[in-house]
Amino acid sequence: MALRKLDVRGAKCPIPIVKAKKEIDAMAPGDQLEVTSTDPGSMPDFVGWAKVAKTALLKEQHTGKDETGRELYIHLLERK
Amino acid sequence: MVDEDKDEPATPASVEVGELLPRLDRGEPVVLLDVRNLDEYESWKLEPRRPVETVHVPYFDFIEDGDAALARVPRGRELVVLCAKGGSSEMVVELLKDAGVRAANIAGGMIAYGIYLEPVKLPLEHDEAGRFELWQVNRRGKGCLSYVIVSGGEAVVVDPSRHAGWYEAFARARGARVVQVLDTHVHADHVSGGPELARRAQAPYYVAAGDGFELRHAVAPLRDGQQIRLGGDGGVAIEVRVIRTPGHTPGSTSFLVGGRYLLTGDTLFVASVGRPDLGGHVAEWGRELYASLTQRLADLPAGTRVLPAHFASQAEIGAEGVVWGRLGELRASVPELQLGDAAAFVEAVRGAVKEPPAAYAEIIQVNLGAPASDDQIALWELGKNQCAASAHRSGRA
Repeated sequence: MALRKLDVRGAKCPIPIVKAKKEIDAMAPGDQLEVTSTDPGSMPDFVGWAKVAKTALLKEQHTGKDETGRELYIHLLERK
Repeated sequence: MVDEDKDEPATPASVEVGELLPRLDRGEPVVLLDVRNLDEYESWKLEPRRPVETVHVPYFDFIEDGDAALARVPRGRELVVLCAKGGSSEMVVELLKDAGVRAANIAGGMIAYGIYLEPVKLPLEHDEAGRFELWQVNRRGKGCLSYVIVSGGEAVVVDPSRHAGWYEAFARARGARVVQVLDTHVHADHVSGGPELARRAQAPYYVAAGDGFELRHAVAPLRDGQQIRLGGDGGVAIEVRVIRTPGHTPGSTSFLVGGRYLLTGDTLFVASVGRPDLGGHVAEWGRELYASLTQRLADLPAGTRVLPAHFASQAEIGAEGVVWGRLGELRASVPELQLGDAAAFVEAVRGAVKEPPAAYAEIIQVNLGAPASDDQIALWELGKNQCAASAHRSGRA
């Protein structure tokens, strides 16, 4: 089972979900995608998208900080 | 080939909040397509003076299944598209365009709505019309009210939002320069533009933080009862009297303009009183607030116009587009002022207050002089103010 990583730091909505959707669609079922964003709006947006997404399952979300102290919002998704 | 678009009026790709809101206020038949997530959509809405027909389809529904999302968008109507910052709505406008549906993006989204300022000139009593102008600047997205008093080429600005340049330009357009900047208190719901405006205008800045707060801004102190005079010579001068009204915060101050117009800050609103709980001393501050409301303002005539720093609902905006009330009427109608004594007042207020406003502790620190980036501040300021002890929906007094 593969883990892909997607870095969308600095990007604002809709970019994180547009890119995540593209990745997920190209993945095999069971593969996981970790999305790293700096947009706090990405937290509720990924939750909302996961409710309607046909191929993405939101596994978990958490926050951290990067080396410059910037808040990071991390979304772990699984290809259904 | 016939170009079918030729005879149709062009829909601009984007519309500014300042152009759109007056149209929605008039009730023009525009449909609002809100593409934010459900939480954001439910917690903070665009509020024109008249209800606007709204369709909610999150932008990620368009990404996931464009055809299904498009099917939920009404056809044959003028559409404007709204999101949090303007990026997702722009994408949706493009998708709609590809599907042959015309729509305009609301530039800057809710962030732009949250900082939009609408100046409303108060209809003053006849005998005062030539002496000075009093403007209520309505930050509609947040329900914040600031004031610009203009007389004889001079302006006093009270409780400015953080966009200091706006007030400077506004005063200039009224033929005035800013000579004094006042904050009624250290705000907890929005970042004050007071210090920056004072710096730009080289005018004195006043705010009273009160005991226990370390204020890092330079302030020119004002005494209780002191009069600030503006307008200079020629008999057009107007006085602004300083009235200390502690309670919402220990330093809260009201300003009486021309003896008739009382800028109450967060001490008294037209449907409630300011919440005294944000410092963690609800009993002590609550008793002070009660004393301010019932004693310190007791000598003012019933006809005094109360001009607060906030409103909680559209119902508080009067027919003239102004949020105000007569002091005598508010003494009889504001629920918290009907309780008879300080103890009952404190208990009622303690029971009514909700969660503190988002990021209030951080915003207070910035207003005391701590540094913060514009992006950070914009994030902290999202949503409507929650400064009243209770948000009554029953309409104006």
